[in-house]
Amino acid sequence: MLLLRRIQTTIALLLVLVGSTAFAVEEGDKVPAFDFASIYADKPNINLEGLEGKTLFIDFWASWCAPCVLSLPLYNEMYHKYKDQGLEVIAINVDNPIEDGLDFLLDTPLDFLIPQDPEGDAAELFGVIGMPSSYLISPDGNVELVHMGFRSGDMEILEEEVKKVLASD
Amino acid sequence: MSTARSLVTIILAVSLLSACSQVRPWERGYLARKEMAWDTDALESALNDHIFFSKEAASGGDNAAGGGCGCN
Repeated sequence: MLLLRRIQTTIALLLVLVGSTAFAVEEGDKVPAFDFASIYADKPNINLEGLEGKTLFIDFWASWCAPCVLSLPLYNEMYHKYKDQGLEVIAINVDNPIEDGLDFLLDTPLDFLIPQDPEGDAAELFGVIGMPSSYLISPDGNVELVHMGFRSGDMEILEEEVKKVLASD
Repeated sequence: MSTARSLVTIILAVSLLSACSQVRPWERGYLARKEMAWDTDALESALNDHIFFSKEAASGGDNAAGGGCGCN
């Protein structure tokens, strides 16, 4: 009987280990330090140290993700609207191969920073649980907002939050 | 002895779970690729379906209808 219980406990532990999910960045956390290669071969790496004092809007996107493709031109508009107030948009591309992402960018030029993440290391670092996922980071490195998906009306919500963080700086 | 054997069997069975891997959100693009489609050639697949339900007179469970003549 005791052995049976031990077996049950072992199985339960194994199942918990198998089913456990990676650490996810949540609101109130500090943004993890990062150093990403740009999707453009001739552009420098994008790292947290180099963006100190900026309000960051980090977004994970892929060319196969329909809501991501909808959101990016709107993020570009938001970037132009608030970049002088200290907003930096970082749209991390998770396409593998990255050429898929580059093809999309040929048709839809975006002016903000676009790191590449074909192996999903950055997505793993942030614990992305859905595409697209975006993170609003205050200048002192606090995660102010975690947003998943992109539906109609989301842009207004995101812009409101960006304005709040920029105003509190 | 039989409990020990059961234990070994269970551990082996559980170790096989490692073969199941979760497709992470950022990897779902792989599922959208053409080569991941159940049928590699949509046209050929539609034709095969049409022949199948006509010959077998087993319409239903698919998206086409017919009475077995293969004419629609």
